[in-house]
Amino acid sequence: MSHRIVVTGLGAVTPLGETFAASWNALIAGRDAAAPLDLFDTTGCRCHCAAGAVLPPLPYLSAKATRRLPRASRLAIPAAREALASARLLDAEGRSLLPELPISVSTTAGGMAFGEDFLRRVLARDRSHHFSRVSRYLPQQQVLDLQQALGFAGHSVIIANACASGANAIGHAADLIAVGAADCVLTGGFEALTELVFVGFDCLQTTSIDRCRPFDLNRSGLLLGEGAAFVVLESAEHAQRRGAASLCYLTGYGHATDFHHLTQPQPDGAALVDVMRAAAAQARVAPAQIGYVNAHGTATPANDGVEAKAYGAFFGDALGATRISSTKAAIGHTLGAAGAVEALFAIEALRSGRLPPQINLETPIPEIAPALVGEKETSGDMRHVMSVNLGFGGSNAALVFSRSSPP
Amino acid sequence: MKIDLAVIGQGAVSPAGIGVDALLHREPVPASVAALGRPDQPWPVLRVDLNDPAFARRQREPRLRRASSITFFLIEAAEQALAGTSPADRAQTGLIVAFSAGCVTYSRRFFEGLATQGTASPALFPETVFNSPVSHVASVLGLNGAAYAIVGDETAWVAALRTAAIWLQSERVRQVLVLGAEEFDPIVLDAYRSARWLRRQSSAHGFLASEGAAGILVRRSGSEDAPGIATARDGSIYRTKKEVSAAAEYLLSGSALALPCYRSAQHNWSASLERKATEKRTIVSMEDQPYLGEAFTASAAWHTLRALAVLTPRLPRLLLPVWGLNHQFGLLELETRPKVPSTRAR
Repeated sequence: MSHRIVVTGLGAVTPLGETFAASWNALIAGRDAAAPLDLFDTTGCRCHCAAGAVLPPLPYLSAKATRRLPRASRLAIPAAREALASARLLDAEGRSLLPELPISVSTTAGGMAFGEDFLRRVLARDRSHHFSRVSRYLPQQQVLDLQQALGFAGHSVIIANACASGANAIGHAADLIAVGAADCVLTGGFEALTELVFVGFDCLQTTSIDRCRPFDLNRSGLLLGEGAAFVVLESAEHAQRRGAASLCYLTGYGHATDFHHLTQPQPDGAALVDVMRAAAAQARVAPAQIGYVNAHGTATPANDGVEAKAYGAFFGDALGATRISSTKAAIGHTLGAAGAVEALFAIEALRSGRLPPQINLETPIPEIAPALVGEKETSGDMRHVMSVNLGFGGSNAALVFSRSSPP
Repeated sequence: MKIDLAVIGQGAVSPAGIGVDALLHREPVPASVAALGRPDQPWPVLRVDLNDPAFARRQREPRLRRASSITFFLIEAAEQALAGTSPADRAQTGLIVAFSAGCVTYSRRFFEGLATQGTASPALFPETVFNSPVSHVASVLGLNGAAYAIVGDETAWVAALRTAAIWLQSERVRQVLVLGAEEFDPIVLDAYRSARWLRRQSSAHGFLASEGAAGILVRRSGSEDAPGIATARDGSIYRTKKEVSAAAEYLLSGSALALPCYRSAQHNWSASLERKATEKRTIVSMEDQPYLGEAFTASAAWHTLRALAVLTPRLPRLLLPVWGLNHQFGLLELETRPKVPSTRAR
């Protein structure tokens, strides 16, 4: 990357907490957020649990404005606000100090619950008050919610590459800065639980009726979750000019498409190996130098075995020395937000030396067993971490964060 | 932002027919009629003829057995734009597709089954994801590099072009195929009707819902003698009608008044806004070209191809406003090159 890229702000709302710090502390403590789902009727589904988030209050918006927001925006706004605040980019009124702030963001369903409501009304031949629902379900309206709530405009891009989108959005923000197209970008992802998506995964029989057990031989499926996470990325020069503290560097980004199947990865994980190699090459690090990987680890039978093979191929003999965990066991699969939430967890592991444990593990997949993070593990000397995501449609993406910039 | 893209391939699928030439014909495009909700209220719509032989071969692809029409539009437009590229170039080709409603047919069918019959189809659900058509295109055409689905209103097309420029500058790929596509579904009509955007059969006001795809194959400017896209701007946001005029004014204020402007808004609420915002500029009108209806990102791509076609040595630069109907406005600056480009479009 021609410009060095630093992380200067983090913010998240997850099923484990209304702020990033609360989420991280609960994660490290080994908590999980699986609970019976009461957002919509799950009668007829195999699974009735999910990791739902508590919506933070939005005292800086009027009650009327808050009522009009889809759940996705209720998650995204406080997470983005926290990220901007931690980067010291908000004024006393909570408005962005950069009025032209580019945003690179990801989601898969946007404000789908509004779309569902619209379709229900159409099916019921109810012709009243449709427009307010359908006009605000599209993802660009959640971006507009963010822009208006936090007082900025500027270039925006919404990447919808399924479950890899969050990593793509962050990677794209890094690309913007690297080529000099932006000095500072707000980037991340958001996703709210919706009936269409929940039932969709349930009918594919990819949701678990047991605990969510990533990388376990007896894994039976995923736990759906929701949340939002944002990062402020800046060129090192821009951060230095305004005296912002650097939390770490984003040093590598790889992405590619796996053609094998619309919903299943290539059995040997070759596409994932390629993106990890691309990200590591850009970061100029050898696999053995990567101390921790926040894995995609959905706990579906199809994903985790392939992912374990890919780590074996990428790390080779260094696999046992690398620490790996999937935090989806704790917060669920947050789909379009997953790549962003999990990147934040990887960053905090790098900064703190504390590693998110692989919870709910009973019988690990042998190939990856030595690498899975146990309870209360720490690693104080990590220099680089990686966050990996895969998605429907064969989207694969990997990010590398480092304590220092590449030589 | 300067993006400096050279356009080396073009492709289009529209209600006017298959290929870029069809976009430039002057014959009116006949509307068909679709009903929503109440059968006594049919609405004229513009549809792509899926029986066109261009689609037949791809409809037999095993991978595409469940794909909806948007995938076939995309593959056809992509093949046109990629015509003549070598396998080596294809291996270095990135893929970006801009959507507004995307594969909405499957989302509607999936949720309708759930809401009316309590059934959920595992065959439909994976096709509801925005990037499913992108994945199909990548797979069928062998593009296994970088691929993004970018979502938004019409300005997602602008974001897609800017993203292509970033990929080229960072040398992630040698060339990028940028496409916009939408498909018609009755739920889309319901949505437009609720916004009071649609034109009744007996009226000349309001727009016609439409569908199709278009795309361009781009490289870094300077690598080819081809028409180009010099700059891309967006971020001129609005929510309410009160904010619309200021957003339009802001959009155009950064461009020299001497630059001619292509008027693209027709029959939608942004048409009067466009007339007012561009009244002091030299106008290149599309009024002699048939109206193709409103297909959001596909419309933005069609307008780009039409505007590129009017560039000449005497009209070397042109502004193309991209009027987003649900978030923001965008602006492209198109330019010709010293040599007349050879077109590989059908």
